[in-house]
Amino acid sequence: MTTTTFYDSDIARKPLLTELRNLYEYRGLIRLLVTRDMTVRYKRSSLGVWWTLLNPLFTSAALWVVFGQFFRFDTGDTPYIVYLLSGILIATFFSQAVVATGASIVNSSSVLTKVYVPPEIFAFSAAFAGAVNFVIGLVPLFIVQLATGTGIPWTALLVPIPVICLLALVAGVGLLVASAAVFFYDVLDFTAVLIQLVGYLTPTFYPISIVPQQFLPLLQANPLYSFLLVFRGFVYEGVFAPGWAFAVMIGSAVAVLIVGVWVFHRSWRQLVVVL
Amino acid sequence: MNQQVIEVQKASLAYRLSRNRVGTIKEFAIQALRRQVRYEQFWALKEVSFTVAQGEIFAVIGPNGAGKSTLMKMIARVLPPSGGRVVVRGSLAPMIELGAGFNQELTAFENIVLYGALLGRRPELMRERAPSIAEWAGLSEFLDVPIRSFSSGMMARLGFSVATDIEPDILVVDEVLAVGDEAFQAKSKSRFQSMLDRGTTVVLVSHDLDAVLDLASRVLWLERGMVKMLAEPKVVIDAYRESV
Repeated sequence: MTTTTFYDSDIARKPLLTELRNLYEYRGLIRLLVTRDMTVRYKRSSLGVWWTLLNPLFTSAALWVVFGQFFRFDTGDTPYIVYLLSGILIATFFSQAVVATGASIVNSSSVLTKVYVPPEIFAFSAAFAGAVNFVIGLVPLFIVQLATGTGIPWTALLVPIPVICLLALVAGVGLLVASAAVFFYDVLDFTAVLIQLVGYLTPTFYPISIVPQQFLPLLQANPLYSFLLVFRGFVYEGVFAPGWAFAVMIGSAVAVLIVGVWVFHRSWRQLVVVL
Repeated sequence: MNQQVIEVQKASLAYRLSRNRVGTIKEFAIQALRRQVRYEQFWALKEVSFTVAQGEIFAVIGPNGAGKSTLMKMIARVLPPSGGRVVVRGSLAPMIELGAGFNQELTAFENIVLYGALLGRRPELMRERAPSIAEWAGLSEFLDVPIRSFSSGMMARLGFSVATDIEPDILVVDEVLAVGDEAFQAKSKSRFQSMLDRGTTVVLVSHDLDAVLDLASRVLWLERGMVKMLAEPKVVIDAYRESV
């Protein structure tokens, strides 16, 4: 007999170690799930994957008209459209991927209750799909940067750093949402509203210069603000954001991911029986 | 041949049923305010113990709601036990509602690869095996067709073909042997038989008592989540038939 696999329900799994091993072991499945997410959604549409780009582009176009042309927000040396599009890309990544990750476990319940697959694989796949969409979204951003004469600094090569951190943050928040969504199905609607509120507290479409002094701490308490500072610094400003922004970005990503994985593992026993 | 490949030790599984079916945060908040949130433990399985030796065909019988499917899912690692312990030695293929991972929009080929990957097989291997898997299911000419246009019989055949493509050490079967038309049933029976000949351990749930009497080496009778009897097929089935 080939004892290739061994299962003992008594052996407590160490969440983070197991997680890393699972991610590696199931990398083939993750790749399949990410492509499935992206192809299935657009299979019956003529534009296909290009739909991914339309959401941030249309949002940006609308906001550009309202805030760039009517309100005439001043973003200094940076053309408003570059400032706006870079912000929208980060915000879209966060909101879409958190909701998708949150829904992933409930949506895969038919599989998860019949076949043993580490459940987090579905959550991480949804988060990865969000990251892939984000990377596709960088193409129009770079085009706009070139077209407006902003150019692409060498620091753009460092963009993967904030992207990986955001992926970790999204996965962590998504796992927390996913755990709750199994018990209460309105959690997902609730999350969407909450994310929208957080979105307004993030300077995606308004310059930080218009924010009154007393409200700045509120913005700085929002980790997404740090992500934006780092990302914008790298992608078009060609500078490194202040150290505190890096600290908040990396710290929040690591902490939230650990908490998310831990809570999800701890509650899986209760989750799976109601799934 | 004496090695115990499955050990179930006083395994229990509790479902938490809420009395007033809480489904949303809103309802939960309202009921919490009224102090109406009450949960009831429902024991789907209660201190079930048994072992299965390598090469055995172990059948589980019992009335609906006795916990048979829950037990299969527990062995298949899908449901962690709330109490007790489950140990499984060897690779295990679950055949519990075949094709649960199928996606309607994807083609048969894509679904074979995806379902195989869900069962823990490498996608590259599945891409190689896909043509022969489809051929075995009699669906070769539909390999590039989205399965939303498949009949339920075609889907079941495809699911069976993928699940049994690789020979596992342990097969967990929950009422899925009656798949497809007669020709396909004969085909699946012979594949099943060849696995048995090779020493695959089988744990199966069935309501077909004659088949169980015919196939099984031992039979477990579950009743309300508890072991009512565990013995030779003839003894258990006679007692079971008398009780019904």
